Amino acid sequence: MGGILVIAEHLRGTLGAQTGEAIGLARDLKARIGGPLVVTVIAGDPARYHADLALEGVDEVLGVAAAEHFDPAVYEEAAFALALELKPRLVLLGHSVNGMGFGPALAVRLGGSLVSDAFGIEADGGRLLALRGGYGNKVLTKLDISAACVTTVMLRGGSAKPPSAGTAPLRLVSLDLQSAAARTAEHKDYVDPPPADVDITKAEFILSVGRGIQDEKNIERFRALAERLGATFGCSRPIADSGWLPKAHQVGLSGKVASNCKLYLALGISGAVQHLHGMKHVETIVAVNTDRNAPIYNVATYGAAIDLFALADALEKEFN
Amino acid sequence: MQTRELFSQFTPFAFGMFYLIAIAAMAAFVVGLARHILRYRRARPAGVPVDWWAGLRRMVDDVVTHRTLGRRDPYAGTAHRLIFFGFAILFVGTSTITLEYDIVEPLTGLTFWKGWFYLGFSLAMDIAGVMLVVGLVMMIARRAWFGLAKLDYVRRYRGDTAPLPRATAWKIEDWVFLVTLLLIALSGFLQEAVRLLIDRPPLSDLSPVGAALGRLLSGLGLDAEGAATVRGVNWWIHGILALSFVAGVAWTKGKHMVAAFGSLAVRDSRSVARLPEVAEDEPAGVTRMDDFSWRDLLHLDACTKCGRCHDVCPARNSNYPLSPRDLILDLRLLAQSGDGAADPHGVIAPETLWSCLSCGACAEICPVGIEQPVKIVKMRRALVDKGEMDPTLRGVLETVANVGNSFGEPARKRGAWTRELEFPVKDARKEPVEALWFVGDFASFDPRSQTISRLVARLFNAGSLDFGILFDGERTAGNDIRRVGEEGLFESLSAHNGAQMAQAKFDWIVTTDPHSLNTLRNEYGKAVQGRKVLHYTNVLADWLESGRLKVTRPLNKRVTYHDPCHLGRLNKEYDAPRRVLRAIGCELVEMPRSGDNSFCCGAGGGRIWTPDPPGVEKPSHSRMHEAAALGNIDIFVTCCPKDLTMFEDARKSSGHEADFLVADIAELVAEAVELRAIPANYLPELANRIAESLAEKVTARVVPELIQALTAQSGRVLAAAPAPVPAAEPEGATPKPVTLDAVPGEAGEWSVRTVTPAVLADYERPVKSGLRVLVAVKHVGKLGDEFRFRPDGLDVLPEDLDHQLNEFDETAIEAALQLVERLGEGEVVAVTIGPEAAEPSLRKALAKGAHRGVRVSPDAASPADPIAVAALLAGVALCEEADLVLTGVQSSDFANGATAAALGGILGWSHAAVVVEMQWDGKGRLDITRELEGGVRHGQSLSAPAVLSIQSGANVPRYATMRMIKDARSKPVAEAVVEELGPEATGRRVAAMDRPPVGQAAMLEGSAAEVAARIAAIVREKRGG
Ligand SMILES: Cc1cc2nc3c(=O)[nH]c(=O)nc-3n(C[C@H](O)[C@H](O)[C@H](O)COP(=O)(O)OP(=O)(O)OC[C@H]3O[C@@H](n4cnc5c(N)ncnc54)[C@H](O)[C@@H]3O)c2cc1C
Repeated sequence: MGGILVIAEHLRGTLGAQTGEAIGLARDLKARIGGPLVVTVIAGDPARYHADLALEGVDEVLGVAAAEHFDPAVYEEAAFALALELKPRLVLLGHSVNGMGFGPALAVRLGGSLVSDAFGIEADGGRLLALRGGYGNKVLTKLDISAACVTTVMLRGGSAKPPSAGTAPLRLVSLDLQSAAARTAEHKDYVDPPPADVDITKAEFILSVGRGIQDEKNIERFRALAERLGATFGCSRPIADSGWLPKAHQVGLSGKVASNCKLYLALGISGAVQHLHGMKHVETIVAVNTDRNAPIYNVATYGAAIDLFALADALEKEFN
Repeated sequence: MQTRELFSQFTPFAFGMFYLIAIAAMAAFVVGLARHILRYRRARPAGVPVDWWAGLRRMVDDVVTHRTLGRRDPYAGTAHRLIFFGFAILFVGTSTITLEYDIVEPLTGLTFWKGWFYLGFSLAMDIAGVMLVVGLVMMIARRAWFGLAKLDYVRRYRGDTAPLPRATAWKIEDWVFLVTLLLIALSGFLQEAVRLLIDRPPLSDLSPVGAALGRLLSGLGLDAEGAATVRGVNWWIHGILALSFVAGVAWTKGKHMVAAFGSLAVRDSRSVARLPEVAEDEPAGVTRMDDFSWRDLLHLDACTKCGRCHDVCPARNSNYPLSPRDLILDLRLLAQSGDGAADPHGVIAPETLWSCLSCGACAEICPVGIEQPVKIVKMRRALVDKGEMDPTLRGVLETVANVGNSFGEPARKRGAWTRELEFPVKDARKEPVEALWFVGDFASFDPRSQTISRLVARLFNAGSLDFGILFDGERTAGNDIRRVGEEGLFESLSAHNGAQMAQAKFDWIVTTDPHSLNTLRNEYGKAVQGRKVLHYTNVLADWLESGRLKVTRPLNKRVTYHDPCHLGRLNKEYDAPRRVLRAIGCELVEMPRSGDNSFCCGAGGGRIWTPDPPGVEKPSHSRMHEAAALGNIDIFVTCCPKDLTMFEDARKSSGHEADFLVADIAELVAEAVELRAIPANYLPELANRIAESLAEKVTARVVPELIQALTAQSGRVLAAAPAPVPAAEPEGATPKPVTLDAVPGEAGEWSVRTVTPAVLADYERPVKSGLRVLVAVKHVGKLGDEFRFRPDGLDVLPEDLDHQLNEFDETAIEAALQLVERLGEGEVVAVTIGPEAAEPSLRKALAKGAHRGVRVSPDAASPADPIAVAALLAGVALCEEADLVLTGVQSSDFANGATAAALGGILGWSHAAVVVEMQWDGKGRLDITRELEGGVRHGQSLSAPAVLSIQSGANVPRYATMRMIKDARSKPVAEAVVEELGPEATGRRVAAMDRPPVGQAAMLEGSAAEVAARIAAIVREKRGG
């Protein structure tokens, strides 16, 4: 009894990055919480993920054979069954699209606490506190999860480091998932985003605009500015949602990750987690936002709390 | 006694023929007139009531003086005067003959058309004929040789190079009209000439022109016989031309001769300055011709196509797709088709309507009193009602509806500009004041305008004016909102401001904002209750002249002054600003377009909120060129916050940065009276204020850092690491952590406590008859750039939060509405878990189209606990026997992204998160598409009932007009009382709330140019290196 259960996530044969990070956090917490660190993977052929999941600190990898594609009903049912067996103190999964798809459903089955989009867990005297944002990440919120016998934690991407490889054994368990059948989500297909003439993932220098540019008519101006600066033109989701720019320009969780970027200029972007997901690793980030409390400043190297139009005026002059 | 014989040498047949034709012509006129009048009668009431007595007096005045025609075009004015009075005299003359011949004599046997009266009459007619001919020739010359672009009807502002077919027809009509009139006049003279030649009456009947023409003709060899032939033939030519003209009046351009009188008489003396209201039983806007008022239709008929409005319109001048004249003409064509149901939007494009700046230049110059902007606003109302508008504008309207200002700032910050003053500004709601200062949006929130507001406050203070403002009680006055066509929102704004003013005690109102001034003065009615609404220039002018403010340093500057449209043209305040400029020693050089001919800055009519179409030259640029052309101007003076913004911008972008400054008149006054920014006697208080604000700043900066440092020191952070700083505990060196002392649950008893739906007391709801879709909506709190924490440290101060409907939920509402609309059946029920204060968001969902609402008070649950919320929602879903529940992906405050899946889990229904597409026939399985990381789309199918969270971008949420919002007030909202909520559903609580760890960004301070230089250096280094 006790310990931590991590639920792995995979898509089209590849483990999600957040699984390793969840294991990393679990490894760090293990000594405090006590009990084993067990990772489970629910898949068509769970064994193929064994090596990638048997990271340092993991005591056991549990493979549950089920349909290959994500189905919230199956994940919830399987994780619930395993939790009944393992009686973990913490159930950890990623705060990803799929995580959002089943984590909270699992949490209500288990009772206890739920912390979604958590980015850390700290012990404060006798208390165990989960950390998350609040009010658009303008505040830091601590939730006390000491009293609950089990807490489901959905971990924000990039909140911990995956440990190095370890040696945990694989145990295949067969579970009766029949009771999920009525609620099951039938898999149909995956559709990749259409090819586009911009590639955020390859760009070394990106100028991105967010809702701060206010108006579709300003798009052309900033596109021209990006061109003048020699930058690839990126944007936040609302800009793509409104159809002001094609989706391929969108940086972030549901867009593209700026994986090769060295310099990122964020104009009028508040810095929502999902946006940060696509760019916070960039070596040099320059953020321009009139709101000094905007979360973008938490990841930026340089910041300027000035009007982005005034800045654009001045930059246009600089790069004449 | 001298007279002349009518119908001399007529056969009875010819005589009868003439009467037949004459009666037919009169009948054609009467029928035409009646058709118009019947059309007017089918239209709606006038809106702003007609003041008949004053209207008639003004009409007579305008007609007699020809004031409206001669203005800014003396040539056309003179020509029209000659034509008008010439025609009028001839018309009266001819009528006099008819009066005697056909009425007085047959009835009484009396005659009066003889003797000296006859001779005088003849002379007058002769002179009138000359006037008419000269006027017509002038007009013909103008059309033929002056090359006036406005008269060829080519719509160059739309990129046309040739006239449309209808415009060619108009041109022909114009020529036919002029030439016919001319021929009537000339044939009249010819008739007179030959008659004089034949009859040779004494004194030639005192008809010098006819006599001269006669002499000319006989000199040219016309003998008596020839004259007799001409007399016979020309009589008929003249008569038939004249009668055709009469017949055609009501059917051709000639109708302006009647309609213009009506139009002038019924015109609103404050047209454009005040707009007609929408009556309760009326549609929101004009979508059929008979939705226009009879006054509107009369206006259309009065148009003479003269093009004065076309010439002055700032939109047309800047190549926006609008010419007020062409708009009126196109509407007229449709109106005259007689089809009351015809949709005017079929002939007037939306971009034409959105081009109008509501500056009133067209209505001001229109010689026949047409109120063009009123028609435009009425049509805009229909567009707004259908949500057909630019997304930016729509966003602004939503913002204004949410927070009461167009800047999207919280109401409590409205008075923030006063904080830097050295003296307190009174809250007019709390203590009586002499003057209530209605500040307005721009002056309250725009940083540049705020400096002016402070300056004006200091000037008021220096003149010992007892004034106050409404602080957070004030909302946008609504002038421009109304002109955009959002009448419902205007009504709610004016009602709110009116109620706030009712709480205040004051004698008069002052404002720096002409837009606010206009609507307060002309449209607020009872709220202002006959109190004066002054512009600050009115106050300053009086003070400077009376010495209440003393000019100690006359400026000696050469300035030009821009009349704000809403101050000058719409409210006739031309003098006060000029008096101020004179008093402070400025030399005023007027621009060619000034006073009532001032040229709009481009911000009116809500255009400041609408992106400009490509290819337009901004009106503000044109204005800058105009000012620069004056030569050697020091300052371009404005007295309107919007003008200041527009022109400061334009000065730079139009290349006149070096030519002159743009300044508000208050800045000049402050300089001239040497207003010391901080009077010495306020110093102690100022010191206090500075200390206070300093203390606030220090706390804000230091306290979080302190907390941070303390927490770090105690070494308890295990994995508090928001990336990119990973939990950096060096491997191996970690001191062995002690196991937690807190034991979960009751001493290690691990147990599952599955959450169950809340049990709700039965509440009123219709019996389920078809599909029922629930949408969970949340009233979310948003923090601005300033906020504080509650003393217990568990939350922020509630007053620092501004609430609105969670934007992700708007997408969910739209998805639900589209589903039931597609299926053609079903009910959408909006549900919120929230206190009574959350009702606005529920109402907004209803306004967008949800059929009814359910609210559950969250007394038992923390709003930060998605499970408690889900348990309550589950209770509602069961009561409602819902078939589908939609939520937003997350709420923008706590972003748990958990409600949908938690709800699905509690109900045991299928569920899916982050859905961007949904297809459902309402019976079988649902086909959905989820958007995964990287934009990959995952297609799945689910059984119903189901819970889905809808991702932003899945659709474009519709706009709820104020009318829809109003209608939503009567939609039912049930309050569901919680009877039972299991302990497992609640209890998750916030332990602490803090500022996030101080960001790592090195802040670049300084001006935009300095920051840009730094960023440029970073870019160059990175690119080069
Ligand atoms: C599952 C999921 C996936 C998502 N994926 C993505 C993603 O891939 N990418 C993404 O970007 N978002 C994503 N989002 C949306 C994300 O949560 C935010 O809503 C979004 O990033 C906000 O975009 P923004 O910063 O442009 O707008 P806002 O949050 O509205 O911020 C605008 C900022 O501009 C500033 N500003 C305004 N005017 C000016 C001015 N004149 N000068 C300077 N600054 C100004 C404001 O202070 C504000 O901070 C996702 C959300 C979900 C739920």
